[in-house]
Amino acid sequence: MAPFLSLHTHWLRRLAGWTLLCLAFGAQAHDTLRVLTWPGYADPDLVKAFEQRTGAKVEVTFIDSDDVMWQKLSKDRAADFDVFAANTAELQRYIQADLVVPIDTRAIPNTARQLPRFRNLKGIAGLVQGNKVYAIPYTYSEMGLIYDRQQVKEPPTSLRALWEPRYRGKVLLYNGSTHNFSLAAMALGDSTPFHLDEREWPAAVQQLIALRRNAMGYYGQPEESVEMFTRGHATLMFANYGSQQLQLLKAAGADVGYAIAREGALAWLDCWAITRSAKNLELAQAWINFFLEPEAGNALLTRQGLANTTSESPYLRPQDKLKWLEPVEDVDRRARLWDRILAGDRASKVLAP
Amino acid sequence: MKFGIAVKLGLLLAGVSMLASGLTGFYAYQTSRAMLVESAKTELLTTTHVLGRRIGLSREEVSRNLQVLANHPAALAAVQGSNPAQEDQLATLFESILRANPSYFQIRLISASDNGLERVRVDRAGDRVLRVRGDDLQEKAHFSYVSGTLRLAPGTTYLSRIVINHERGAHAGLDQPSVILATPVADDMGRAVGAVVINVDLNGVFATLANDLPRDYQLFLANRNGDYLIHPDPTQTFGFDKGRRVLIQDEFPATRDLVSGAANQLLTEVQDGRYGDAPVVAAFISNKVRVTADEDRLTLGLAQPLAAVLAQADRLGSVVLQMVAGLCLICLLLAVLVARAVTHPINSMSTAVQRFTFGHQVAALPVERQDEIGVLARSFSHMQEEIRQQLDALQTSREELEHLARHDVLTGLPNRRAFQERLEHTLVRAQRRGERFALLFIDVDNFKSINDYWGHEGGDAALKIVALRLSTATRKADAVARMGGDEFVVLLENPTHREDIVVIAEKLLESVRSPILYEGQEMQVGFSIGISQYPDDGNTSAQLLSRADHAMYETKAAGRNGFRFSSTKGAPTNPTPL
Repeated sequence: MAPFLSLHTHWLRRLAGWTLLCLAFGAQAHDTLRVLTWPGYADPDLVKAFEQRTGAKVEVTFIDSDDVMWQKLSKDRAADFDVFAANTAELQRYIQADLVVPIDTRAIPNTARQLPRFRNLKGIAGLVQGNKVYAIPYTYSEMGLIYDRQQVKEPPTSLRALWEPRYRGKVLLYNGSTHNFSLAAMALGDSTPFHLDEREWPAAVQQLIALRRNAMGYYGQPEESVEMFTRGHATLMFANYGSQQLQLLKAAGADVGYAIAREGALAWLDCWAITRSAKNLELAQAWINFFLEPEAGNALLTRQGLANTTSESPYLRPQDKLKWLEPVEDVDRRARLWDRILAGDRASKVLAP
Repeated sequence: MKFGIAVKLGLLLAGVSMLASGLTGFYAYQTSRAMLVESAKTELLTTTHVLGRRIGLSREEVSRNLQVLANHPAALAAVQGSNPAQEDQLATLFESILRANPSYFQIRLISASDNGLERVRVDRAGDRVLRVRGDDLQEKAHFSYVSGTLRLAPGTTYLSRIVINHERGAHAGLDQPSVILATPVADDMGRAVGAVVINVDLNGVFATLANDLPRDYQLFLANRNGDYLIHPDPTQTFGFDKGRRVLIQDEFPATRDLVSGAANQLLTEVQDGRYGDAPVVAAFISNKVRVTADEDRLTLGLAQPLAAVLAQADRLGSVVLQMVAGLCLICLLLAVLVARAVTHPINSMSTAVQRFTFGHQVAALPVERQDEIGVLARSFSHMQEEIRQQLDALQTSREELEHLARHDVLTGLPNRRAFQERLEHTLVRAQRRGERFALLFIDVDNFKSINDYWGHEGGDAALKIVALRLSTATRKADAVARMGGDEFVVLLENPTHREDIVVIAEKLLESVRSPILYEGQEMQVGFSIGISQYPDDGNTSAQLLSRADHAMYETKAAGRNGFRFSSTKGAPTNPTPL
């Protein structure tokens, strides 16, 4: 009796295992939406509302840099995610790597609510290729400078303020390879910060090492920057998240100002895109459509201090000179060198092959 | 029915005592179970505190190592400028410490000058301990563990946030959960001119600390925001590093107060979510980091399956059950004994009553008892005695009445009625057996003249003496009765020959013929006897009596004082000559 029983139990267990596996696959294939995005883009209450409306389960993963996003999406050809938010420049490498699928804008009726310049997708570099739309604009900001008004009496006018020796050990920076190289190039007076030619690399590296020597630290997520800024009494911060960080810092009680340097500010437009591994396209489209609704737009504006695409931004000033992100000459090289710089390597080591 | 009361009483006693022991057992179990669970929780909490203290001790040990290194003369010399000899000496020291402490990833001496350039660096790389030199040494001033340490006073320790180490070139420590401890190296003026930094393998430290814990304990560690750093399921740790935070307060809602700082410790039971199948008891403490740290507070927790806690209670339960069963058995025996003790005297009394009713001898009663049953037995015994005496008296008087009814008052001889019965009886027996018997009718001659001469008292005295003489002269088996007045009758059982009857008749006459003394004078009395025989003279008592009577009159007529057979067949008997 005993062997039969154990055989029986074993068999049952395997059956149960298969059933669970099938259920899990079924659920993942049809009812779970896996979202990769930035902090503040998918607040839990909005996610919950979306889940209630669609009956689907949503798994949100937050990233804090383009590099990390690329790591996660390029792994297994985007098998782990259905929808993600990337800026227009970053989007290009996803299109080239065939990790995203074209989006049928008719399936996202809320695009009709967007401002005309965001509906004109062909007018935005990088969104349309061969008449196929690859992303829907969601939010945008410029990367200004945030300064502590107690310590910095005159608002900084140049990016070079970040390198000023008097701010040594008091400058808070962002841990992101492409933007930092662009930032260094702009500070060096380069008009094409997204395209470093071979002669420009050493100077850019030296510039970034110099910046590192002025640095108090590097942040990833907006909240982290706020904590480091307030705890470390930073004087100046390169605001990768722009007005979003300004709003958070003010909410945390910091007396901070925001400045756009005369060299201009890098600016990004983040868009929703759908990966090639998205099993349930309707659900992914419903997600993008949902975040174009007034509720989500308001959340961006009021909670995050970020602009949305359905109303004019209260944060951008017409006089500010913006450099909208463009695909860079070699993201891998920037990432590789940046890793070395961040780890503390000196120029010779950073530039070594 | 006989054991009705015994059974009922026994059942009642057994029921009450079983209920009592059952209830006692149940409540004892309940209380003890609650106490056991409570004590297991307290134990869990204590263990968590002990673990917390051991973490503190481990940290202090690292601090001591840091102090030893920071105070080493070579350390100061090495941070103040390139000094290969001192650096080598220090590197050797670092290597030996790294070898002695498997949970250390890396030991470095970092200078405050040169943008936080590493002066001496020894990394763990796989199984090896590797000294990093030359161009591979990095500038670390932009890391808070350097800037933070350089702000500290000599002799104090800096503790970093616990993170996944992404510093490129960290060898074994790369992408591993680490915590960095550091202390400043001070110059003669007391200024921090460098820092000694030790990277500690978080999992290594906790694996060592948790070694002594029971196998079923689960260890949790969370940072001040509640992000898991250690969790039985490694995928739940460092969620913030993976873009999906996993918080202790989401899994254990009760820890919200710990994370917010409102509480220092708590105990909780969780039976939902991932613990739906195997509920746990968990203890959490909020450990304030005592050194200057970016991670100012940690939440440490231990969880134990509730089943393990309750296993002890289950053992207790079975012991209680055994005790209750034992008690019930004892109670049952006691109940039987008590029931028997109570009903035994009642039964013996009822036996006594039954025997008494059947006229048996009085059975033993428990009169010696001093209790109520003794009183009852004594009253009953007394009553029994009275009834017996009265019955005896009744019997006596009944027997007297019976005697009076069947005997002659004057002579004491059976009277006519009694004789008639005897005659009938003898007749029936004689008919059945074919026996013979004879009736002798005896009459006092001239009794009227005796009465007249001697008075009635003289006559009565004569009759008494005659009766006595007749009784004496006959056999026991024969019956003598007074039929009334001066008439007597004698029944001779089974005379074999007529001659026997003659002998007896003559003997009777002889006995009564002798003079009777009355008041000093002799009284001469004569008798006439008539004899009838069964079956010769008749088949009924009346016939037999009548024949005997007739024969007696013939005797009288023939001159008295003799006897005569009534039988006509036989020759007429001559009266015995006087």
